[in-house]
Order: sequence, then C-alpha cells, then structure tokens
Amino acid sequence: MGLSANGGEPLLSARNVVQEFVVRGHGGVKGGVVQAVSDVSFDVRAGETLGVVGETGSGKSTLARSVLQAPRPKAGSVRFQGTDLVGLKGRRLLEARRSLQMVFQDPFGSLDPKWRVFDLVEEPLVAYGVGTREERRQRVREVLDTVGMDPDVYGRRRPRQLSGGQAQRVAIARALTLDPALIICDEAVSSLDVLIQAQVLNLFERLRSELGLSYLFIAHDLALVKQVSDRVAVMYLGRLCELGPAEALYREPFHPYTVALLASIPSPDPDAPRAQAHAAISGDPPSPIDPPTGCRFRTRCPRAQERCAAEVPEMRELAPDHAVACHFPVERGTALSP
Amino acid sequence: MGAQLPEAEAGGAAATLAVAPTVAEPSARRGWTRNLDIAVPGALIGVLLFLCFVWPLFGTVPKPTGGNILDANAPSFSPGHFLGADQVGNDLWSRLLHGGRNSLEIAFAVNVIGLVIGGLLGAFAAFWGSFTDTVIMRVLDVLIAFPSLVLALAIAQSLGPSKLHTIYALCFFSVPAFARLARAQTLRLRERPFMLAARLAGTRAPRILLRHIAPNILPALVTFGLLGVGVTIILEGALSFLGLGIPPPEPSWGNMIFEGQAVMSAEPKLVLLPSAFLFVTVLAFNLLGDALRARGNTS
Amino acid sequence: MTSGEAPAEVRVEVGTAPATGPLLELRDLRVDFRHGGRTIRAVNGLSYALSVGRTLALIGESGSGKTVSSRAIMGLLPPSATVSGSVRFEGEELLGLSDKAMRRHRGADIAMVFQDPSRSLNPTMRIGAQITEAVRVHARVDRSAARDRALELLKLVRLPSPEQRLHEYAHQLSGGMRQRVVIAIALASKPRLLIADEATTALDVTTQAQIMELLRDLQRQLGMALVMISHDLGLAASFADEVVVMYAGRAVEQAPTRELFAHVRMPYTKALLDAIPRVERPPHTPLPVVAGRPPDLAALPAGCPFAPRCPKAQDLCRETAPPQEEGSPGHRWACWYPCEDAAPPSTLAPGAQPPGGETRWA
Repeated sequence: MGLSANGGEPLLSARNVVQEFVVRGHGGVKGGVVQAVSDVSFDVRAGETLGVVGETGSGKSTLARSVLQAPRPKAGSVRFQGTDLVGLKGRRLLEARRSLQMVFQDPFGSLDPKWRVFDLVEEPLVAYGVGTREERRQRVREVLDTVGMDPDVYGRRRPRQLSGGQAQRVAIARALTLDPALIICDEAVSSLDVLIQAQVLNLFERLRSELGLSYLFIAHDLALVKQVSDRVAVMYLGRLCELGPAEALYREPFHPYTVALLASIPSPDPDAPRAQAHAAISGDPPSPIDPPTGCRFRTRCPRAQERCAAEVPEMRELAPDHAVACHFPVERGTALSP
Repeated sequence: MGAQLPEAEAGGAAATLAVAPTVAEPSARRGWTRNLDIAVPGALIGVLLFLCFVWPLFGTVPKPTGGNILDANAPSFSPGHFLGADQVGNDLWSRLLHGGRNSLEIAFAVNVIGLVIGGLLGAFAAFWGSFTDTVIMRVLDVLIAFPSLVLALAIAQSLGPSKLHTIYALCFFSVPAFARLARAQTLRLRERPFMLAARLAGTRAPRILLRHIAPNILPALVTFGLLGVGVTIILEGALSFLGLGIPPPEPSWGNMIFEGQAVMSAEPKLVLLPSAFLFVTVLAFNLLGDALRARGNTS
Repeated sequence: MTSGEAPAEVRVEVGTAPATGPLLELRDLRVDFRHGGRTIRAVNGLSYALSVGRTLALIGESGSGKTVSSRAIMGLLPPSATVSGSVRFEGEELLGLSDKAMRRHRGADIAMVFQDPSRSLNPTMRIGAQITEAVRVHARVDRSAARDRALELLKLVRLPSPEQRLHEYAHQLSGGMRQRVVIAIALASKPRLLIADEATTALDVTTQAQIMELLRDLQRQLGMALVMISHDLGLAASFADEVVVMYAGRAVEQAPTRELFAHVRMPYTKALLDAIPRVERPPHTPLPVVAGRPPDLAALPAGCPFAPRCPKAQDLCRETAPPQEEGSPGHRWACWYPCEDAAPPSTLAPGAQPPGGETRWA
C-alpha cells in the first residue's frame, strides 16, 4: 500500500490479517466459525489518520483488536514501529505495544467505575514503571490539562460523576500518558451527542497537530470518517473493499459498496437528492459465519456477475494510492478495465 | 451536573450518553431518613453486636455457666438475674448474650472464610478460564451437590462437636456458594471494555485481580454474605439443636432451644427468648442484605 | 423494490380525521418529574401541530425532552411525572385520560416504534405470534384471519420471505429485519399517527435509508402522519415536512424544513448544523464548536437555557427567557438575538468553510 511520506517504513503495517471466532452452540458444541477478518492488509503512515468505515459485521472493530493482539490474529502480521506484534507475549509484547493505545466507544464502559480519574489516567504509567511517584503525578496533571480537564476539579472524581464527553476525555488522557505514536479510536465519538462529539473531534485534531499523533479511526458514520481522515478504508464482511485518499474516495469511489454507502447518507440539505438506497444496494447483509464465496458483496451488488462468485477479488491500485478489490469497479475516466 | 431523566427518557436508548447519571453524594447529606431501609436493620444489628460482644466486658453480667443450682428456674427480675435462670441456675440473660456471641462468631467466621476462599476460587476460575475453571468448578459442583445439612452433620459427628468443627462443617457449603457467585460476577466483568483497557495499559494479571476485579465484585459478595449470616445462624442452631454444634454447657441459641424444649410447658421463656433473639437477628441481617442488594441493582 | 415483491395494496379510510384542525396538536405541554427531592423539568412548554399525512421531525440531543414528550402523548409516563398542557388527537384531549381510555388509542390510533428492535420484540415468541397478538388486541378476528393479516403486514413492510419469517424468532433476524417487524406490529391496527423514536439510530446507514424510505412510502399508502424523533438533522432534512428543534425541554425553533435550513435563526440550531461533519467538506476542517454541556434540568437557569453556551448571548438572554415568536410565516423561534441570513450550508461549494461560529471547546 505504499510507503510513508518520508520514504521510511510505515508506522503500522498489517499484512494478511485473519481473525476468526468459533461460535458455540448449545452444550459447547462448535456451531460455526465467524470469519470476522479475512486477509486484510493496510498501512498507517506516521502522522496520518487512516479511517476505517464499515457497517455491522464488517469486522472493523475486530480488526482493531487484532492489531492490538487482543486476541492475537489467527494469521498474518502486524508490524508496529518495525516490530511484528504477532507472536510476542508477555513483557515483550507490552514493550512493543507501548506506543499504541486505544480509545473505546463506550466512555463509561472503558473506565473502571470504582477508580478515581487520577488513578485511571495514571494506570499506564504505573504498569510500565515510569518515573517516581512525583513524576507520575506531574505527567497525569499535564495530560489532564491537555484534554481540558482541570486535575484539581476532576482528579478525585469517579466515572459516574462525569458526563459522557468528560469520561471520554479521561479515556483520551489515559491513552496519552505514555506519549503514544498511534491511537486507535474505535467508534470513539459515536455515543456522544452532536455538540459534544464536535468538541472531542476538535480535541483529536488538536492533539494531531500538537503532538504529531497518528490515528486509526474506526466508525460507521461516513461523514465523520471523512472529517478526520487522510485516507479511508472501506470494509465489508471482513474484507477490504477499497482504500484510498479521503477526498478521492468520496468523490469518485470505485467499489459498488462504497457507492452504496455514500448514496445512503442523509444530507442536512433539504434540496439535495434524497438517499437513493434502493438503487445502490439491496437486501440485508449475509451472515459472517457463512459468507458468500468469491466477492462477499456480490449478493447485494447491482453489478455482480459469474466471476464474482468464482474468484475473490484482490486489491488493485486503480489510481495513485487508491486501491479497490472488485472485478468490475465503477468506471471513471482513468479506471482500468476489469 | 446533568440530571438524568428517569425511565422515560432512558427507555431503550443506547446511543447517546452525553448526560451523566445523577451525582451520588447528596443523599448522604440529605439525611438518614432516605436510607431507612439500611438504617433500621443496621441499627438493630449494631445493638445486637454491642450487647453480645461489648456489654459483657463492662456490664455486670454474671457468667453463663457454673450457676448456683439454688437459683434454678428463678423468674425474671429476680435479684442478680435480669431474666431469670435456667434449670441449673445459669443466668438466662447472660446465656442469651454469650450464646449470641458464639452464634454470631460462627456465622461471621463461616461467611468471611467463604467470601475470601470462595471468592478467590471463583474469581480465579473465571479469570483464567478453560482448564483452571473446569477443575475448580467441577470440584465445587461435587460439594454443592451434597445436601449441605447432611454433610455438616456428618462432619460434626465424625470430628466431635465444638465451635471450630462447626465452623469447618459449615464452610463446606459457604465456600462453593461464594465461589459460584464470584465466578459469575467475574465473568460478567471480563466482558467490560475497562478490563481490556487495563490490559492495554499494561497492567498485569495479579494487579488486575486485586485492583480491578476485587473492588467490583466485592459489593455483591458482601451482600451475599450478609444474607448468608442469617442462614448460617439458623444452620448452626439446627446443628446445636441436634446436639452436634457447640457442646453444652457453653451456650448457643441453638442448644439453648434444645435444652429448653424439654421443659417448654413449664418454662416457655427458655425456648421463646433464644428463639426471639434468633429471629430478630436473622431478620435484621436479611433486611440489610436485601436493602444493599436493591441498591446495588440500581446503581 | 428491495425484496422483489410488490407491496400489498392496503386501502385505509383517511376520512376519520376531523374536518377542521390538525390530527395532533400539542399546546404548552409541560412534564415534570420528582426525583430524589428535586423537580426535573423535562418538558417546559412544547407546542406543535401535525396534519394528516405529514411528517414532523422532533430534533434534539440527550435531555432535550423529545422522548418524554412523545411518551406523554401516549400516556406512558411513570406516576412520578406531572403533566400539564394539552395534547389533542383528532380534537380529543389525551392528557388526563384513564389508562383504560388511553389503551383504546394506543396501537389503534397512535402507534410507536422504538430505537432498539431487539428490546421491543419478545425473544421467546415467534414473529407471527407477536403480530397476530397485536392484530387481535384491537380487532375481533379469528386466528386464521389474524394470521392472514400478519402475512399481509410483513409484505407491506417488505420483509423478504414473509411466510418463513412468521415462524422464526427475533434472534434469527438481522437488525433491519427486526425493525421492519416492529413497524409491522405498529401498523397492525392501521394507526393514523406513528411515532418513531430514534427508530433508525441503531441501524446501519444503508439499512437506515431503506427503513426511512419504507416509512415514507407507507405514509403515502396509508395516509399516516409521522412524528420522527431523532438527533440527526440530516435525517430530518431528507424526510420531514416540518422540524421542531428542542433544547432543555423547550422548542427553540420550528419551521417547515426548507425554511428552517435556508434561514436558521436560533443559534443552537445553527450550532447543531455547524457541528455535523459533512461529506462535502475536506478532511480536517475545523468544526465550529460550542463549549459546555446541556443544563441540569432540575436547576434550570433563569433566562434562555442555551445562554451559558451561546456565542451571541447578552445580559438580556441570561435574565429573561425569550418567548417563542413567529418571525416569518410558519417559522417560530425563541431567541432575543437570532442569527441573520448567512450563506446557508446547502449552497456551500465543496471545499469551502462554513461561515461564522466561534471555535471554542471545553
């Protein structure tokens, strides 16, 4: 997927990641295997935000957890800052993963309700044995200030005494304590009200420019993903459909699924054409336990043909830095013919 | 702080969480009247504990054993015997208090041991899962499957009656019960994102168990323990009643009832008073346990 | 059609609405809750009117009172709630009706669809049974007629393979399918008003689009009025005839959709519009943000509830709550210093920045 701007290795490099879950029926009998992530490869370059967009069952959250090795993917490699995380355990994994952090969707769920804000934010420092007690205190105060939470006011509070936006700020502060290089945001603003969401998004942007952070930003809201991302990856049922620069992907998508997604967004403009969902996509998503053969989108794709059932489409670069996995991509001026 | 609208606004809405739950502090300041469900049984228990454990140390309470046979069956308010005496002249009031102490000591010991050992076993089983879980839970399943009273009797019978053996016997059913509960609670906790967040922060297993899991499962275990105190007191009473608990002349409410029932028609108070104390104590612990559990469910 | 089947033809007499007056009319609705010794003013004077066959969008964030107001219409509030004002449905006053009287309306005249379909459906009952139950609550029909009606309803909501679905359980269906079933149940007795409370919030965007289109088509077919409750202004823009924006229990702005978006007046509405990420904008566009959080409903400030956060707030705003006034025909707002007509968001060229707004964050 290309090298980073300075020609060096990308910050995060995932190759052929596979993640599966066994579904147990009654009595513990194996009921089926959920193919949550199948052969996904992508890079996150230093200083960039890669957005990952997809609907329920797309595997985007599972992908995030696989990158973090929680749990380890069944196959594939995840190189972070040059080290492959897959296959590392214990202390070595902790060291390699130190600059990789995550912010979760549910701000209250990701904070231990019995802990105080100060201890929550300090936890990574304690776990990694950083600094003296006083130095840790300093760092916690610093980081709380950065996210706009006054440590004297909020430090001793418990999560249930915070609002959703405040709790999410605490989670972000915690992620910042070890001075990470990459933060994975898994639907990090999806459960916040619109105005609070905007506040937190602006915070992410500020951190990006002030601290040079990179993000892997996962969401189902397309407009939201475009707002924060440099490049965007579209996932469907465990596979990557399309990956390219945000502007280009949204303006001229190649994959029929991307087209359908974009057509479904309701626009806050009464004069814009209404969401034409039924023209672009039909039916309901198939089950991830028994995905369609070949291209997984073919059962809902208006352009599907025989080849789509027989052959899994590979990611091919159709425009600069813009790849798509489709046998019959939506044609634009310079698109290659199938 | 944002106020949360009860029921109606919250119905089914999982999506938006911008407004916080109500801050918890005001109720404590607002007054104990709103915590009547905790205050009343709590006060009752406080009084009982004081009477059974503290009062005999300072107050003028005669010894519970070695009474003067000449005082046998003295009626209430006789000189030197606040509530009278039993068939062999022991002061009834004293026996009630000391008996209560014995019963409560056993109940606390059994439930504390159950909470600690059972809690640890259950939490470990859920935390490490797979093999550890299977081994621990199958062993405990076997213990639970035994009818607890019969098992307790068998143990007490084979080891001989004494306070310590009674505790051993009753632990055989408290430990698995707590283990079950701790395991269920820990399993639920494992799914919560903050557990993953703790692991990602680098916290290692022992610290996770100690600082994340323990504080979160403890309230449920303590509530369970309070309800368990009531159960244990009754079980101890049954054991003593059957002659296998605390051996006479050392009093416990159970063996007092046992000895008193022989002369119940003549001196009903020898049965009624320990029964009344037993009843009130168990009721108080049950009410407290229920009140705490109700609060735990709504928080 | 998504399922490849034509929707069943259902004819409904629309003439049951009164000759004059709207289908649903709220006047100065107020709802208070007593909770822990404090009074929470959940709805603080809400008024709107909805005519037959039209769609009204009730837009607001958490705590705005939008859901509580709809529960008040249905008489579904807990006993700790105090309701005042007027809610008239086809001329009949609904507030103060006994539960028995309300039950005649619920489901039959007014139906409700909630956010989470898995919570609205009984996991232990087959789909068919749940629909026939809904049918038979309001109409005396025998089992087989009810079953036919159930099948008809599933076809109406474009559920694929309806005969098979009748025998399935809720967990065997996807989220979108479950929501269709919930809508089918709501439509069982041909209600004239449907209240959809965040009905598509929990669904994927493609499914959401399908469900919204379904609702719109059903409206036309059945002559049904729709109140859609949401936090999503985009949805309102696409599907509603009229929009009511709520904040802290009050309607702060309401207008026909086009008028509202073309001439936003209330700074809160503007803030909402500005804060929504737009696909038209380039990445990393700074979002004009409003600081702070919604007020504590138990301790509402005097004056305008939005004043603590409003970039245009003056002393007057903090002292006295602005009344709702009809500034242009059909367009009401409650603001002392409403926004002027700036270039409306819809005419932004791609890549341009939205005008105005202060970039603060808290």
